[in-house]
Amino acid sequence: MAIKELQPDEQGTSLWQDAWIKLCKNYLALFGLAVLALLCVISLLTPWIAPYGYEEQNLLLGATAPSLEHWLGTDIFGRDMLTRIMYGGRVSLTVGFIATAVALLIGVLWGAVAGFVGGRTDAVMMRIVDIMYALPFMIFIVLLMVVFGRNILLLFVAIGAVEWLTMARIVRSQVMSLRKQEFVEAAHSLGLSEWTIIRRHIIPNTLGPVIVYTTLTIPSVMLLEAFLSFLGLGIQPPQSSWGLLINYGVESMEEYPWLLIFPGVALSLTLFALNFLGDGLRDALDPRTSKD
Amino acid sequence: MKRQLSDLTFSLCSTIALTLLSIFILSGCGTSENNVSIGNRTGTLHWGNGTEPQSLDPHIATGVPEHKIIIALMEGLVLKDSKTLEPRPGVATSWDISEDGRVYTFHLRKNARWSNGDPHNAHDYVWSWWRALQPALGNLYAYMYFSIENAKEYYEGSIKDFDQVGVKALDDFTLQVRLKNPTPYFLQLLDHYSLYPVHRQTIEKFGGADERGTRWTYEGNLVGNGAFQLLEWKINRRVVVERNPHYWDAENIKLNKIVFYPTENAITEERMFRAGQLHYSGTVPADKVATYQSRNDPALHIDPYLGTYFYRLNVRVPHLQDKRVRRALGMTIDREQITQRILKAGQIPAYAMTPPNTMGYFPESDLAFNPEAAKQLLAEAGYPNGEGFPATEILYNTSEGHRKIAVAIQQMWKTHLNIDVKLLNQEWKVYLNSVSGRDYEIARAGWIGDYVDPNNFLDMFLCNGGNNRTGWCNKEYDRLILEEAPTAKTHAERLAIFTAAEKMLMEDMPVIPIYIYTSNNLVNTSVKNFNDNILNQPSFKEIYLEADTGVEN
Repeated sequence: MAIKELQPDEQGTSLWQDAWIKLCKNYLALFGLAVLALLCVISLLTPWIAPYGYEEQNLLLGATAPSLEHWLGTDIFGRDMLTRIMYGGRVSLTVGFIATAVALLIGVLWGAVAGFVGGRTDAVMMRIVDIMYALPFMIFIVLLMVVFGRNILLLFVAIGAVEWLTMARIVRSQVMSLRKQEFVEAAHSLGLSEWTIIRRHIIPNTLGPVIVYTTLTIPSVMLLEAFLSFLGLGIQPPQSSWGLLINYGVESMEEYPWLLIFPGVALSLTLFALNFLGDGLRDALDPRTSKD
Repeated sequence: MKRQLSDLTFSLCSTIALTLLSIFILSGCGTSENNVSIGNRTGTLHWGNGTEPQSLDPHIATGVPEHKIIIALMEGLVLKDSKTLEPRPGVATSWDISEDGRVYTFHLRKNARWSNGDPHNAHDYVWSWWRALQPALGNLYAYMYFSIENAKEYYEGSIKDFDQVGVKALDDFTLQVRLKNPTPYFLQLLDHYSLYPVHRQTIEKFGGADERGTRWTYEGNLVGNGAFQLLEWKINRRVVVERNPHYWDAENIKLNKIVFYPTENAITEERMFRAGQLHYSGTVPADKVATYQSRNDPALHIDPYLGTYFYRLNVRVPHLQDKRVRRALGMTIDREQITQRILKAGQIPAYAMTPPNTMGYFPESDLAFNPEAAKQLLAEAGYPNGEGFPATEILYNTSEGHRKIAVAIQQMWKTHLNIDVKLLNQEWKVYLNSVSGRDYEIARAGWIGDYVDPNNFLDMFLCNGGNNRTGWCNKEYDRLILEEAPTAKTHAERLAIFTAAEKMLMEDMPVIPIYIYTSNNLVNTSVKNFNDNILNQPSFKEIYLEADTGVEN
């Protein structure tokens, strides 16, 4: 009975509830979230709402500037750019999210374990990372693609599998500095298991830099996909992605600027949205900032 | 509406372009002088060569980029006039042809030297041609020798003794060649690199005579007899040749150096040309042709070119074994659209392998764009409305031009035949390996004439032709090309035999002709004596550089 009376009247808010409240006050971050959500919805619905087929050619029409029939113009094969950008978004967003998720998963776990356990385990784990850094990552991806075949899903995973290295280093350095701090010592002395400490204390405290780095990884992964596709390892025509569309657009940017501008705008918009959102999330999730 | 939007995008683009340009200028090279103006001063020609050469061994190389470098490094008995392509004295000062047109006697010049100073004489030819005919060497151009008496028999192994082949050094400076039949294009063959002489001591120093890929062609090793010698070969960066002081005509060579750049991306090469990094570029991206034309740029040279762009079909692949399938694929390519809408530089739709008007020869072909008949053929072959058509890939070497054509054809086949084909691109050397190893289904190809005669386009599809690469073999076709045509009494009769042979080829369709090339060159106005010819073969001996006064920056 006595214990019950000691409980405070006000319920404490969890980290996530707290973050959501803070995020809602950051309009720029909300805007980013909205744009991303919109892009995802458009991508999901593309097969039903796209005005034309992405491979539908009209050679007689050729490359035309934006008009009422083709809002974003057409490419040299007379294919509708709006449609191609919509379909390209499906590939680019998927590769961006899947590859980054793979990189995030491996990188955070690897870095957290290495940094927290320390000692010989840390040395071995980080030397493995160093060795993988030393490998030209293109060769690594090409090898993966040759061994596993040219499969889009595998491409996503392969990109993720080489993108986690930097993430692991960032997380490790964060963890190294965190683990000597008093609240971790306190958790230790309270007898919490190591895994619980990593999960409850270490990872939430590293979220800031991780989120920022994640928002930077997504666009770089999208461009990497374009590069691989250009080499014949990724997706192949007539399929397309934003990176590929930009790549092709550069070829004729003096003659047909719209082929470069619109895919470029789509990619930049995503990039901005991700950055705003990432910024907002970092502020919202940082447990060190005071609660209101 | 349309106008306003495009104006808007244009101004946006020009802003971006200006920003980029200023970044380039600010961060760019420290010196303001570009390759072209330095080259004009020092006599160095900067040549955009398309792609990294596969080999500089004249008995192994087969591509156009290799050709351009090899003709600078080596020379045959006879040269071609750079304008008219008439035979001109090369290593041979003169030649006599017997009355029956079967015995050629070449009188070699006494002052010819190899680039290391060694004397160069008739025995070099006997040895070099013996080498080129060694089956172990894997010379894909061995059939270029087959007009010489017993050369084919020797190559195929039915004659073991090379003395029976019709090549003989009568003395140090007289070479006699006996032909199987009078061959009107024989003198032209001598200017082809597969018949060039090679330096015996150098080759034997680095390996066996019939060994492939030895180090004799490397920087510092290669010895040639041409106007230039190899100075530097940096893989994927440049090949540099410099004037050969031992060349018999060295005092008339005006260029000091030629730098060949392997730039696989035509767009990059065009930008390098515009930035004054190159004197010459051999490809103009299709979209840029109109831009150059609209401002009447004197740098743009568009000329007829003796070459055919086509697709090889691997007839050993089960579903491509059926000639109805191959015909159906050939009949559903709308060539007019490709030439007019994608290529846009005067290319001619091709319905046969040989370009029209090759030595007065006009091929006859019943190939036409006919989707209805094609659908019928595909249905007869067991794929009604494209159902059950196996997965097929179009292979092309990495290049935006090839990609565009493949994308258009992929869609044409989808629309007209309802079949899905995939695209696969590979780097040039990998692509060459895939094609010669017949590890492909459908592969992009181009054939540029080595000499002006229909024979050059038709004899590559002989059963054992090194450049056949489709697996197609027709004994009757072989008989027409190897036996009937060479013994024809008159020119008209010879052409009639070629017509019949070409009809057979197009009937079976192991290859799908797509268009006849035009040569699209960008040549800086400081390059003088650059003559256009239908083989697009430059004469580095004659070219000189002279900056236009006042235009130089």
